[in-house]
Amino acid sequence: MSDHHDHDHDHGHKPAPMVDEVSHFEILEMAVRELAIEKGLFTAEDHRTWVEYVHTLGPTPAARLVAKAWLDPEYKKLCEADGVEASKAVGVNWVTSPPTQFGTPSDYCNLRVLVDTPTVKHVVVCSLCSCYPRPILGQSPEWYRTPNYRRRLVRWPRQVLTEFGLQLPSEVTIRVADSNQKTRYIVMPGRPEGTEGWTEDQLTEIVTRDCLIGVAVPKPGITTNVKLPVRKAIHPVHHDH
Amino acid sequence: MSASSNDANAENGEMLIDATPIPLLRSIQAHGRVWEDLAAQYGVTNPDPPWKITLEATCDLLAGDSCVKPYDQVEPGSCALPSLERRAEEDELSATLYEDVPFPERQLLALAHSMIARGLLDEAELASRMEVVGQRFNSA
Repeated sequence: MSDHHDHDHDHGHKPAPMVDEVSHFEILEMAVRELAIEKGLFTAEDHRTWVEYVHTLGPTPAARLVAKAWLDPEYKKLCEADGVEASKAVGVNWVTSPPTQFGTPSDYCNLRVLVDTPTVKHVVVCSLCSCYPRPILGQSPEWYRTPNYRRRLVRWPRQVLTEFGLQLPSEVTIRVADSNQKTRYIVMPGRPEGTEGWTEDQLTEIVTRDCLIGVAVPKPGITTNVKLPVRKAIHPVHHDH
Repeated sequence: MSASSNDANAENGEMLIDATPIPLLRSIQAHGRVWEDLAAQYGVTNPDPPWKITLEATCDLLAGDSCVKPYDQVEPGSCALPSLERRAEEDELSATLYEDVPFPERQLLALAHSMIARGLLDEAELASRMEVVGQRFNSA
């Protein structure tokens, strides 16, 4: 028996392109990490465990939560009443899933599911820093972290949503939910027309990250997020009013 | 630094962190190739560099449980770098010293800046370690 793979046949695909160059930034990241470990600021084992955990995160559990709620009125009630308990049905346990197991159900694990109605649209921000429901939604997008989004959304939500391509009728009230260390939010948008008879999997696909933050609404056929240029806040905040 | 003094400084328009340029980080800023350029050159579609998650993990672990507590309940010394302080400093440095650097490279520069400014890292020690890491990366 040969101990090597037979390459006489054609695999029919090429390897994905790779960056064949180590940047100063990549070196800096590793140097900072190694020194932090050597100085005892954290352990290599904790770092490895945390990285593995973060690699498992993404927006799919939150999208599935919304899809399930669209199909099951009782589950929707649970989502509204107890987001932490409802998360378990999509595989997220806010208490035990993160390796650090910080918090209790009453504090950090206070996930709120904000249910949109035909006249109320919710949108999420963290005006202070960039708190985000990572266990159920993954890593935050760059624009969510920017002062531009954080400062302007709370002042001019309708304008900011328009920049995301979401133009809402004037009769729709916009509610901005400000996240913090203890309470994180996701938005449950309304189920769009044209999805009658769809399965949970089909519905999950159109509940994008942007829909769950509240800067978009689901539409049949749209399964990707908006790509926005990131802009600085050109009008600094003044505290004299 | 307490949360209240932090807020007060921000309201007075004062910097929360010593934004004096750090030569090592300025050099990386000037000569380092950012992911968006590398990805374009090599035809890679991943929007994030491979080190982004390890950077996030470093930030999280330095923050300990400060990321899940109100700032005024964070015990002094309970973590190396409270998350709210790091993020506020990152915002400031991103708008000033590292304004021309894209994300997440500027997050990394800001983190290293915050750590050096606090004495958690020494600039010369970091430069020396970068030499070693660079040799290791390029020895294969």
